[in-house]
Amino acid sequence: MTDDPTLDLFGDEAARSEAPDTPPTSAPEPRVWSVSQVNRAVRALLESAVDALWVGGEVANWTRARSGHCYFTLKDDRAQLRCVMWRTEAERLPTDPDEGMQVRVFGTLTLYEARGEYQMSVKSLEAEGAEGLWRLAFEKLRRKLEGEGLLEPARKRPLPRFPDTVGVVTSPSGAALHDILTVLRRRAPWVRVLVRGARVQGEGAAEEIARALTALGASGACDVIIVGRGGGSLEDLWAFNLEPVARAIAASPVPIVSAVGHEVDITISDLVADLRSPTPSAAAEAVAPDGSVLRAQMRDVPERLARGLRGTVARRRDVLREELARLGRDLERRLAPARQAVDLGVARLERGVVRLVERRRQRLSALTGRLEALSPLAILARGYAVATTEEGRVLRRVEDFPPGRTFMLRVGDGSVSAESRGPVAEKAPEEKA
Amino acid sequence: MTDPVEKKVAKAPEGQDPAEPTTLEARLRRLEEIMSQLEADEVDVERALALFEEGVRHVRAAEKILSETELRVEELLSSGKVRPLDTGEQDGGGA
Repeated sequence: MTDDPTLDLFGDEAARSEAPDTPPTSAPEPRVWSVSQVNRAVRALLESAVDALWVGGEVANWTRARSGHCYFTLKDDRAQLRCVMWRTEAERLPTDPDEGMQVRVFGTLTLYEARGEYQMSVKSLEAEGAEGLWRLAFEKLRRKLEGEGLLEPARKRPLPRFPDTVGVVTSPSGAALHDILTVLRRRAPWVRVLVRGARVQGEGAAEEIARALTALGASGACDVIIVGRGGGSLEDLWAFNLEPVARAIAASPVPIVSAVGHEVDITISDLVADLRSPTPSAAAEAVAPDGSVLRAQMRDVPERLARGLRGTVARRRDVLREELARLGRDLERRLAPARQAVDLGVARLERGVVRLVERRRQRLSALTGRLEALSPLAILARGYAVATTEEGRVLRRVEDFPPGRTFMLRVGDGSVSAESRGPVAEKAPEEKA
Repeated sequence: MTDPVEKKVAKAPEGQDPAEPTTLEARLRRLEEIMSQLEADEVDVERALALFEEGVRHVRAAEKILSETELRVEELLSSGKVRPLDTGEQDGGGA
């Protein structure tokens, strides 16, 4: 029996030590194996006989123990297979699969001796479709953050237009940093870049990125922070899909620009950030204004200022002019009644004077009439004449005119010189020279 | 060669109101305010002149900042100190 290969499987000390005692017994006692021996032998048989293999099925009763090991059942419509995934492997899963999820697992068959149950020791587990479980993990975290309102568009802060200091969280030796610095050097060399290095993939990368973000935020030095890395596989980018990074971004005191991988890669980090840029270079462009444009704008500013100043002065001058004109009109308006009064007064005065003059004139002409009536000239004008001596004494009687006497004869329009030829016989009652 | 983290790059230039903004962002924002005030008609001439002078100061300072040609790249250490970061490129590390 010792040459039976199956016996070897049952093992070591017990089997070997007992084997030599048994053969010569006449009444053959049945060989009794302990349970441990049997299970150990079956386990060895199973493990050596079956190579590692892929098994596809539906996940049931998934439990992740406190130890970190995961236990579940893989089943199809007719059968079940107990599975275990040890902590080291289980930790690499992006998330736990959902109940009933179609997966395929890779591992080896073994036997759990304590229970005598055969099971599969799973090294890796993939959901149907290459990204199944990653997608699931992504969606789970996305829903969770969404539920907390951390993805709300209203939470997105505008980037500063002219940052003095740009924080960068990425691998210090990565292509992303190089790309960011190249763009900033070209566009905005006056800015200061403050880098906080972090491993961006592998175990603990998410925590490192989160700590770097927190440190830059707490420094108070940055106006905006770029977090990201260059392209890579889904697994390489995975740190940016983990909760610590999401939380650190959401808690940042300054706006965060997330730039992970290439255009097509969208991460949780992108969703929580204030701005998602497709690449690190694009993030640098989003963060810094174009220096040449800015300098061109600055050149126009002094002229605009001067124009503003001139405008203000001109407007003041116009206002003053307008005020002066209004003042003039106002004065005019206030003085108008007075001026009217004056005009009226003058008119009345004039009328008074006219009346006065008229009255005087009337009186004068009345007097003149009377005077004229009294004037001897008026009588003379009617044809009478007055004789006077040359001295002006009036000659009234005949005896005043001896022959040869010269005298003045005054008539209506003047005087003539005359000579008497003596008295005339009384033929006519009146005489005239 | 490490400095404690300083808040902003630009220091107040010589003989200037300490209350006046010193960052590029603040200066450009103030410039816009000044221009819109100057272009509105509420300002009296005295004030307009003061605004004009302040604006010119900001333009000069901003142009000075913008004329910087060397990108300053620094590293924030876990001690909270800052030191120039050698990026292996010809930027000289600033400071």
